[in-house]
Order: sequence, then structure tokens, then C-alpha cells
Amino acid sequence: MAKQYDVLFRLLLLGDSGVGKTCLLCRFTDNEFHPSHISTIGVDFKMKTLEIDGIKVRIQIWDTAGQERYQTITKQYYRRAQGIFLVYDITSERSFQHIMKWASDVDEYAPDNIQRILIGNKSDEEEKRQVATGQGNKLAKDYGMDFFETSASTNYNITESFTRLAEQVLAANKKDLDLLRASVTDELNLAALEEEEGITDGAAASQKGCWC
Amino acid sequence: MCVQLLSFFFCFLQAKNLSEELRKLSWSGIPRHVRPITWKLLSGYLPANTERRESTLQRKRQEYFGFIEQYYDSRNDEHHQDTYRQIRIDIPRMSPECLMLQPMVTEIFERILFIWAIRHPASGYVQGINDLVTPFFVVYVFEYIKEEVENFDVSSLQEAALRNIEADSFWCMSKLLDGIQDNYTFAQPGIQRKVKALEELVSRIDETVHIHMQQYEVEYLQFAFRWMNNLLMRELPLRCTIRLWDTYQAEPEGFSHFHLYVCAAFLVRWRKEILDQRDFQGLMILLQNLPTMHWGNEEVSVLLAEAYRLKFAFADAPNHYKR
Repeated sequence: MAKQYDVLFRLLLLGDSGVGKTCLLCRFTDNEFHPSHISTIGVDFKMKTLEIDGIKVRIQIWDTAGQERYQTITKQYYRRAQGIFLVYDITSERSFQHIMKWASDVDEYAPDNIQRILIGNKSDEEEKRQVATGQGNKLAKDYGMDFFETSASTNYNITESFTRLAEQVLAANKKDLDLLRASVTDELNLAALEEEEGITDGAAASQKGCWC
Repeated sequence: MCVQLLSFFFCFLQAKNLSEELRKLSWSGIPRHVRPITWKLLSGYLPANTERRESTLQRKRQEYFGFIEQYYDSRNDEHHQDTYRQIRIDIPRMSPECLMLQPMVTEIFERILFIWAIRHPASGYVQGINDLVTPFFVVYVFEYIKEEVENFDVSSLQEAALRNIEADSFWCMSKLLDGIQDNYTFAQPGIQRKVKALEELVSRIDETVHIHMQQYEVEYLQFAFRWMNNLLMRELPLRCTIRLWDTYQAEPEGFSHFHLYVCAAFLVRWRKEILDQRDFQGLMILLQNLPTMHWGNEEVSVLLAEAYRLKFAFADAPNHYKR
């Protein structure tokens, strides 16, 4: 029986209200774009399965509300994440300045080996740009992160950035990954690994890809 | 039947004092025609005494526009600009089924929310509060028009009518929020407490569903936070929310307490769909996207009846059915 996926990761989208976190996610999981998406309350959930180096990676993505008042709630999700998108809006200097605050929250509440990536969204709105690409690059370098400018509207760099973060998470969890590769090679089933991850495969096990 | 119901309403609406009968009638749904005045009475905005109603309305409407004169210019001041910015970001991102994209409506919502926020600094504006204006606004627009509201051009209303709708919506929303303010203060203690209470309640009324969710590590906060923060408005079509609020306003502590039982009944309503899901992601996607698009009065009435039964069985005897 074909498995739906080999490994499971949890990624989190953080950043100020209105920078386009939900739009990035909808473009990635459903290839859809709505210019005025309904605002996120608390935390929303989506998922997608990617194939990286022959491994089926299911990613659960938690999309958070950006307003400060929600942070007591959203911080509860940090510690269970393996990767984090820090998102700002290139047309908002303020959202870029706040990245430092978001990054320090991540340092405080997320696990030590968390993988981070910096995203400057709305790159299609060049005429309203307030944050130069160089500024994004420099900040990412200072924090040791990769950096992408993206546009959910034009579908620019969306798959690339999600795939990059997933690759980083895979690399950071290489030990588990090697175990997985060994078992794939030996054609063993992955029940042991799945048990460890607390996943149970259901009746729909032959279904592949994204359920969204 | 319907005519008779209406005449009962007319009779009780004219009564000198707010009768228990009006509450009882309203609990089961208010006819559209008398909904605006009934909501104003039930919320306590309009005095029961018929002789004082008109003067109270005039005074409150003036008071509201006094606040606008006094405070609204400060929206771009340094210490208010975050609030105003957040409100402006959120209004275009509200439920598409209402009239939000009309510029005049946007302006009205901006004023209502900004004035409320700066007069309630303990919570300030929190995302979700914007949704709570909509039912009042839509219901009060009906006072002045006969058509279905969905395609209605608000700017065709007379200015005086629009001002009344705005002020009435502000005061009724304020009354509602007074009862649930701890949902929106720092760390949102009201919501955290109610989500815990929901979990406890569901574990007692439907252990199978509760254990099923536990087994797949679904936490109540992951789906019910929004149920509390937005009073199920994100889970139901607007017409259902309006019907739900007939009951919430007729029920003592409807928004702050009875809502919990409605949430429990709502969750258990999906028991079969929940038990059919056999992994975390399936459950989460179901619970965050419950299929209520086709819902109408019928479904809401069933939900409310079940919530009432639960309240009756559990509210006054918190240990009676303890596991």
C-alpha cells in the first residue's frame, strides 16, 4: 500500500498583519489568489505534500494572525514548529522593522534548531516599494537566514521559498532522515518511524498528494 | 400564524415595560419586520418605557456624534495610529457577503470601531471585533429599506437615516462588548477560559468525540479560539448569525455564557464527520471549514434547542454528570 508521505514537518508563518501570509499560503497550497483575503483569527491550518530528493514530505502549515493581541495564543505554536517564515511587505517599512521583534520572539519561544527564512512579499508592487531588496538581503545575512522576495499575486518565488525552507528542515533533521532513507532502501515499512511521530495512517492511505 | 406572531410582537413592543413575553417570543426568532426595534429593546439600548424611547434615541445619537467630533480627528495621532491602521487593514478583509466594500460603509465601520477602541483602552481594537458590528448594521439598515440587503447601495439612503444606523450600531455593539470584554483584553483570558469550559463540557456530553479528538492530538484552542473570538460568525452565514443573535439577546448572558452551550452543540452536531476523520490534518481541515454554507433558520433552531437542553442539564449542576 502506497504511503501518503514519509516525513511530516510543521511550518509557521509569522509577520505583521496584512503582509500577505494567508495569500502566500493559499497560493502555495491551492494555487489561488484573492487580493483581499478574509483576515486570519488566531491560527489557521493548511497542508501540502512535496517531494524532495525522492522523499515525500508532508508539511503542515500554521498561518497566524498578525495582530499583537493574539500573540499569547500564537506563541503556543512556536515550540512545535520545525521551520518559520518571517514575512514582511516590501511596501511597508514598518513591517520590515518589526521583523527584528518577530525574530527575537522566535529565539525566545521556538526550539533551538528551528529553521528560519525571510520573505519580502508583494514584490509585484514595485511602484509602492519602501524596502530595497538589498535591505532584505542584509537583514537575512545578519540573522543567517535565506531570503526571497515573493509575490503571491503573480506566483513569484512561492514554491521556491516553501521548498527551500522544507529542504532546510530536512537537512536539520538529517539523522532522522538517514534512518528513513535506510528504511526506504531496505523496503521496510515506515510504521516504526510513524509511531515515533505520532501519526496514524487512515483508511485513505492510498490517496496521494495534497488534500486541500 | 406569521401574522399572529407579528401582532404578538407589536403588542409586546408597545407595552409600558419590557415584558418577559417579549423575551420568550424573541428566543425562537424575531420576524424581520420588527427585528430592529426588538434588538434595541432586548440589548437595553432602548428603554422599555415607550414614552422615553424617542428622547433616548435622540440623546444617544447626539452623544455618539459628539464622540466623533471630539475624538475622530485624533486617529492619525501617534498614540492612536496603530489602532486606526489595524482597523483600516481589517475592514476590507471582512466577510465578503456583507456590504463592506462600499466606501460609505467602510467609513462608518472605521468610525464605529475607532471610537469604541479609544473609549475602551483595556482591550482596544482586536481583530474580530469588526465582525461584531455587521449584524447590527445590516439589521438596522432594514429599518429603512424593503429590499434584500445584499445588493443594496447604502449611499442611496438619506443622510439622516445613515447617521441613525451608525449611532444605533455603535451603541448596541458597545452593549454586546461590555458583556464579553475579557475576550479581548491582554492574553484574552475570557476566550481561554471558555475554550477550557467547552472542552470540559464536550468531554461530558460526548466522550467518544472528545476521546477521538484527543487521540489525534487535536486541541480545542486550535479550532474553538475563533468560535469564541468571533462568536461563530466565521463559521456560519450572516443570516444564521442574525437569527442566532435573536436568541442571544433574548437569553440572559446570551453572548457571554449561552454561547458556550451553542458551541458545544455545534461541535457535537458534526460528530459523524469528526469520527470519520482518522488523522490530525483531516480533523483540523474539517473543524476549520465546517460545511454550513447552506444553513438557514431550520439548522440554527435545532442547534439552539440542543444548546438549551445542554444548558438545562449542565449549567446548574456542574458536577452532576462529571466523569
